[in-house]
Order: sequence, then structure tokens, then C-alpha cells
Amino acid sequence: MMQSAVAPNALPEKISIKNLKFFYGDSLALKSINLPLYEKKVTAFIGPSGCGKSTLLRVLNRMYDLYPRQRAEGEVLFDGGNILNPGQDLNLLRARIGMVFQKPTPFPMSIYDNIAFGIRLYENISRAEMDARVEAALTRAALWNEVKDKLSSSGLSLSGGQQQRLCIARSIAVRPEVVLFDEPCSALDPISTAKIEELIDELTADYTIAIVTHNMQQAARVSDYTAFMYLGELIEFDETSKIFTAPSDKRTQDYITGRFG
Amino acid sequence: MTGLRSAGVDSTKLKRMGRLRAGDLLFNWVTFAAALTVLLLLGGVIVSLIYGSIPAFQTFGLDFLTTQSWNPVTEKFGALAPIYGTVVTSIIALLIAVPVGIGISIFLTELCPPWLKRPIGVAIELLAGIPSIIYGIWGLFVFAPFFQATVQPFLIDVFAPIPVLNSIFAGPPYGIGVLTAGIILAIMVLPFITSITRDVFDTVPPVLKEATYGLGCTTAEVVTKVVLPYSRVGVIGGVMLGLGRALGETMAVTFVIGNAHKISASILSPGTTISASIANEFTEAVGDLYTSSLIALGLILFVITFIVLAAARIMLARMNTKAGN
Repeated sequence: MMQSAVAPNALPEKISIKNLKFFYGDSLALKSINLPLYEKKVTAFIGPSGCGKSTLLRVLNRMYDLYPRQRAEGEVLFDGGNILNPGQDLNLLRARIGMVFQKPTPFPMSIYDNIAFGIRLYENISRAEMDARVEAALTRAALWNEVKDKLSSSGLSLSGGQQQRLCIARSIAVRPEVVLFDEPCSALDPISTAKIEELIDELTADYTIAIVTHNMQQAARVSDYTAFMYLGELIEFDETSKIFTAPSDKRTQDYITGRFG
Repeated sequence: MTGLRSAGVDSTKLKRMGRLRAGDLLFNWVTFAAALTVLLLLGGVIVSLIYGSIPAFQTFGLDFLTTQSWNPVTEKFGALAPIYGTVVTSIIALLIAVPVGIGISIFLTELCPPWLKRPIGVAIELLAGIPSIIYGIWGLFVFAPFFQATVQPFLIDVFAPIPVLNSIFAGPPYGIGVLTAGIILAIMVLPFITSITRDVFDTVPPVLKEATYGLGCTTAEVVTKVVLPYSRVGVIGGVMLGLGRALGETMAVTFVIGNAHKISASILSPGTTISASIANEFTEAVGDLYTSSLIALGLILFVITFIVLAAARIMLARMNTKAGN
């Protein structure tokens, strides 16, 4: 349950999670989550392993739908519509809510095609326009200078950090409104991590971002709001500065000071 | 070791170490010899095939490969008809089995509800376990008559007005024949292609598929754009294994192909394959030249199979270079 509601303010909610429950078979993994994701802000989900933060993220683009016996109850309002609605067009939803995974997932194709792939799904544009879009996406992901001379080589030939930036470029190339990051740096070295964090910071100009992270410093560095979750419950949600300096729940304090988790 | 000895390590320990080292050496040699056996066997088979086929090639030269007649009475032998039959039946088999097999695998790995997975999987394994002789008698006594009564007349009628196709599907409907053999072969290689492609599709990391779905792709797009490219090497491997099996399959084909040493434009007419010819005729092969011609057929099958595998390797290597890894 929520200990501290953010004071009513003018921030528009891009996604509003209301009374969300999630089940793996019969076991309840998320217990009545209520949470807003504010537009063009970064919201970090923190908490010990198994607390449900990745599960929550995977509800937001209905990724759980790929697996049998997983289901969600409640409401997740995205621009006013409930995405848990059975009639929701999943392809459209996932085009509007992009996702970057824990491990880099370049497709088995060239760097250029990795980016162009998603664009081609929705738009029929000329080669020149496509070139521009690919360059823009790669530039945005701070990867252009490193790959501009080898766009036709395989996406798999890049380093781990570069691959992850390629995946970010791929996500933003289709111009989503929300980007979900599921522990995007846990497989990366510190330098690549710093680059990704910088990138996330820049992306807030245009995108609403949710990031799951195990790294509390990372949450403190990149996010505007932080949600602390524990055993499938949302314990506390507030501005990041408040969570990390003056949390109102004892469990939050214990977690961020490293007493458990 | 002298260093150790001079350092005064007790001699029983050293002796034991020595024995262990000798044992290890023996172990190395035994495993090496086992590995060598494979090379020797392969070499032995090749050498004896070549040696056995020398009389045939001495008599007929390379014309052996391009002559259609196969006449034990006049001792005039040519391998063209069996080669043609082998290649055509295998192509027919793959044309049918590859799309169906890949379709089954895609359904099983991407779309199948969990409760249906096992029954289909078990059915495939059972299909693979049926001895080829059973496919043979089933093909001859059940499938061929059915084919003769229904599908073949239909094919002949439908394609009659279309040039080229009307000669490929020219009558009369015998029931048995090249197409029948190809279809039986397709049924036989289907489980191989299915189970290998299914295993290969299962190796595609779930997160990669999630990432593709995450862009908003449909299942069809995920399969064609990511799963198939990711696993193409294995898929081609499975297809090649199926082809190898189809090329060499003997028993079932012998039952249903009609065993006629001739090449017809129509795939509804009887034909023969290399392995069917050998199986049919080895008992009646009197005279060195006849026997040698059959062995030469075997050598040709060996070479064709070798070429198929080599071509597959070259193709895979080229595709890998193209993909840049």
C-alpha cells in the first residue's frame, strides 16, 4: 500500500496503473498496485529480487501474453484506454510502448536492418528517408559515430554495450511514446553503463520512461520518480530525491541503506 | 622430473606416477585408434566401391552415367534412369516435406497450446520410428490404389490443357510411380525435418523473440524475420539430413516406384532409383559386369550424397559470411 501520495500537481499521467493484480498460474505476484507514470519523466522500479518489478514492467506492454497461465487483473490506463482490455491491439500497443531488455537482443541481420526492421513494419518510406531515420535513431542512441562505417555488418558483431545502444536505437526508431527498460545495464561494463544512463537522461525530452534496476545508485542518478516494491507490493512511490533522502516507510529506508535486499 | 627425484621424493610414489602416465598414454592411443576406425571404415568402403565398379567403367566409360538402357541380357548397362529417379523422387519428397515440416515446427514452438504439444510431438516420433518396410507395404496396398483411383485421374484431368504440365502429369494412372514414391519419401523424411527444425527453433532465445514482439511484430513476422534467419543453419541442416535419407531410402521406394529402367517426362509413370535397382537386382546379378554395374550405381549414390553434403556446407559458409559472423 502507498504510504505517501505525491501531492496533486499538474503533471500529466501517461500511464496510470490502478488496482493491478498479476498471477503466475495461481500464485499472486502483484498485489493491487496503484502507480502513475508521468509523461516525459523517468520512473524507476526498485526492490529486492522477486519483488515483482520486472513483472510490473512486462504488464505495461502485455509481454506476459506470450506465455500461458499468466494473467493480469485491474486497470492500466494508457492515454485513457485500458491496455488490459482483451480487445487491445497488441502489435499497436508494443509499437507505442517500446522495451529494452536485460541482455542485448540484436536481430540476426545488419546494423542498418536492425533499425530499419521496426520502421518497415509500420511505415512505407523511401530509401533516403529510411537512411535519415536510421541515422537519426543511431545518433540519438549515441552509436552513430561508432557504426556509421559498418552499417552493413551484422548487429551481432558489436560489443555488448554497443549492442544495447543498438537495441535502444531500434526501440526509439519506431517512435514509441513510452520506453521500458528492464535492467538495461546489468550485463554491461561501467563505461557502457554510464553511456546508457546518459542516454536515458536525454531520452526524457521526448519519451516517458520506466526502468527496472537492481542498482540503487542508478535509480538515484537517472530517475525522477522511484517506486519501491517488496514481495509484490508497492511500498512507496515518490520523487526520487525524497525516496533516497527521506523515505517514509521503514522498509524503503532499510532497502536503500542496504540493510536487506 | 629429475628435479623432483633429486629433491628426494620417495620412489614408490614416483613409480606409481610413472604407471599412471603410462596408463594415460595407453588411454590416448586407444581412443585415437577408435577414432581412426571411422576413417578406416570410410576409406575401406570408398576403396571397395571404386574397385568393384572398375569393370563397369572400363566397359562403358563415362557413358555409364549418360546411358538410359539397362539390359542384363545384352549386358548393356547405363545409370541415367536410376540417377534421374533418385534425384526426382528426392526433390518431390523435399518439396512436400520441407514446408510441411517447418510449418509443424513453427506451430509447435510458437503457437501450439501446451496441451496439444505432447500428442503432436509423440506422433512425430512414432512416425519416425515406423520401419520403412511398413511404409512400403502401406504404400503399395493402401496408398497406391487410393492414389490411382482419386488423385492421379484428377491431376491428369486438371493439367491436361496446360502445356508442359500436361506432360509432367501424363497418364495413365498406374498408382505406383515416381510421384507416389516421392510422396511416400516425403512422409518418411517429414519427422526428421520436423524434429530437427523444432529443436533448432527452440534454441532461439526467448528474449530475442520477446524483443521482436516488443517492437509490435506479429507471430508471422517474428518467425520469418527473426526465428528463421536466426536458426537457418540448423534448418538447412535438417533439410539436408532429410535429403540424405530420401536419396538413400530403399525399401519403401522399391515397393511403390514400379522399378522400370526408363526415364519418362511424366512423374506418374514408373521409374527406378539407384537404391531400388540395387535392392531388386543384386540376387539375380550373374556375371561380373552386372555385379560391377550395380556396385558402380552404389558408388554414384555415394558421390551424390557426398555432393549434397558438400553443397550444404558451402551454402552455409556463404550464408554465414553474408550475415557477417
